[in-house]
Amino acid sequence: MSGAPLINFDKVWKTYGEGEARVNALAGVDLAIPRGQFVAIMGPSGSGKSTAMNIVGCLDTPTAGTYSFMGVDAGRLDRGRRATLRNLHIGFVFQGYNLLPRTTAVENVELPLIYRGVAHTERRQLAMQALAEVGLIGREHHTPAELSGGQQQRVAIARAIVSRPTLLVADEPTGNLDTARSHEIMDLLTRLNQDLGLTIVMVTHEPDIAAYAGRTVRFLDGHVASDARTAEAAL
Amino acid sequence: MIWETIRLALRSVRRNALRSFLTLLGIVIGVAAVIAMLTIGSGTTQKVKADISKLGSNLLVVRSGRFNGPRSSDTVARPLEEKDAEALSRQLSGARAIAPAAQKQVRAVFGTESLVTGVTGTESAFLEARDWTLASGRVFSESETRSGAGVCLIGETVRQQFFGAGDPVGEAIRVNQMSCQVIGLLEAKGYTGFGQDQDNVVLMPLHAFQRRIAGNRNVDNIYVAADEATPTSILLPRVEGILRDARRVPPDGENDFDIRDMTQIADTMASATATMTGMLGAVAGVSLLVGGIGIMNIMLVSVTERTREIGIRLAIGAHERHILIQFLVEATVLSLLGGIIGILLGLSLAGLAAVTMSIPFAPSPAVILLAVGFSALIGMVFGFFPALRGARLDPIEALRHE
Ligand SMILES: Nc1ncnc2c1ncn2[C@@H]1O[C@H](COP(=O)(O)OP(=O)(O)OP(=O)(O)O)[C@@H](O)[C@H]1O
Ligand SMILES: [Mg+2]
Repeated sequence: MSGAPLINFDKVWKTYGEGEARVNALAGVDLAIPRGQFVAIMGPSGSGKSTAMNIVGCLDTPTAGTYSFMGVDAGRLDRGRRATLRNLHIGFVFQGYNLLPRTTAVENVELPLIYRGVAHTERRQLAMQALAEVGLIGREHHTPAELSGGQQQRVAIARAIVSRPTLLVADEPTGNLDTARSHEIMDLLTRLNQDLGLTIVMVTHEPDIAAYAGRTVRFLDGHVASDARTAEAAL
Repeated sequence: MIWETIRLALRSVRRNALRSFLTLLGIVIGVAAVIAMLTIGSGTTQKVKADISKLGSNLLVVRSGRFNGPRSSDTVARPLEEKDAEALSRQLSGARAIAPAAQKQVRAVFGTESLVTGVTGTESAFLEARDWTLASGRVFSESETRSGAGVCLIGETVRQQFFGAGDPVGEAIRVNQMSCQVIGLLEAKGYTGFGQDQDNVVLMPLHAFQRRIAGNRNVDNIYVAADEATPTSILLPRVEGILRDARRVPPDGENDFDIRDMTQIADTMASATATMTGMLGAVAGVSLLVGGIGIMNIMLVSVTERTREIGIRLAIGAHERHILIQFLVEATVLSLLGGIIGILLGLSLAGLAAVTMSIPFAPSPAVILLAVGFSALIGMVFGFFPALRGARLDPIEALRHE
């Protein structure tokens, strides 16, 4: 791990609303994550985890403070440049899968490649490869309605990694899954982190899911309350 | 990329087939109206022009009385006479043919068949003046014209009614109790643009008509055809001068006859058709505008419905322009589809009209291309605002949208 950390929060504030309804979703967050780490974000509901994820993924910008991604002050970039950053470097896995309905698995996985201008045949090939990586071969022409929750989440992960991003942002990736499916997904993420060197920032409420990550950051009322290496033994 | 987008657009149109179709109705009706009208319009114009040239090119028609303005009640219009035509024949230069004519609708009978037909009493020069030709037989001889012999030329409709496909020459038909021998058959001319059968006619010598049918010496019209070298505009004042002389109109008196220039009428008619087409075009334009607003409305609905989809796309790497293009293409595909359906519908309507009105079916490739381009343009123009709205969505808000 050389040079600047991949992700760096420097006294980041995020404020919603005005006057009475004013909410500090983030209140001075300091956090650095180097390349290649697998970090779990925990904390009570409303503590600012999703807000922080949106900033990490360059979907949102801080109200105050500096958020740097790959050493670039992402908060100062305009919409277009942030879109480019997402396009080139960031894969998202959302809590509710967020696959396009009535669109087959492989077409869902192809989406990020379309926006990167990858030609049709190569796109299909890369998408199939990503589906293979998440163990979904044979289901590629099913639409989300024809897939189980765990399968849908695997399609979402395939879509997030198909463009070989630097960073994977996952907001409660196992939130809707039973224990067995959850552990399958976590095994998959662990493998991606170890084999591809993918940096992963993952929000979760469950300690046994967080245990897969090498580091756990706890949020409380919009700031980092604790930050600890997960003991290998915890696995 | 663009193929991908078009495929996506087609899929989204198909997914909401009924809604898409209803949205398209405005465009379909607008484009169909434009196409049908312009096609029928140009067919009619062609037909009218052909009819006018059938009337005889460079033709002046003299009628009794004043054509413009009300006739004064104390003076009964003085009819034209044969001697007026004779005066023209003697004095007028620049004319190719001059023929007096009188007309009446009467019943003609052959055997057990009968038919109401337009009988014209005239001279052989009438055929020349009006560019009519004979399919068979001969025209009136000098002596038949002078004596008013019981001979006649008949049109194709009369032939079919009385003789079927047979040869009418030599047969005798009765026209208003008068027996007359058919000596010639006129070339078929078909219907005018106003649905008048030009082949339901019988021609006979003027004197025979005056004596046996009309019972007076009146002449209704004098046809004057200009020769190649003389424009009708030059011929007209000459005809006027000679007739004023012949009919002894005082120098300060108004003409007691009226001269119509058929070339001018053709122009008037053509411009009337154009005005009509223009007016209907404006109506069609309004319906296209309504269609465009329909597209805008449905695209706004579509953008709202797919807010979450837009959020997903933006989060996983789409730029604003990708979203903009996606919805713009969708609007364009939608409206283009409407345009194409409209063109097909319009052409069918025009084809139907061409058959029933017996006018030529004259579709114009330029007009069709224009309609295609125009409907695509409507999609782009009216789709732009909704597409921009979609593209400008905040990705986080869009993702939170239920
Ligand atoms: N768009 C918004 N407008 C107003 N307030 C917001 C908005 N987004 C988040 N908040 C507020 O900011 C605070 C942090 O929200 P956030 O979604 O980051 O919490 P979280 O830690 O992800 O909670 P959960 O575990 O329930 O997902 C909350 O109080 C929330 O109400
Ligand atoms: Mg959250």
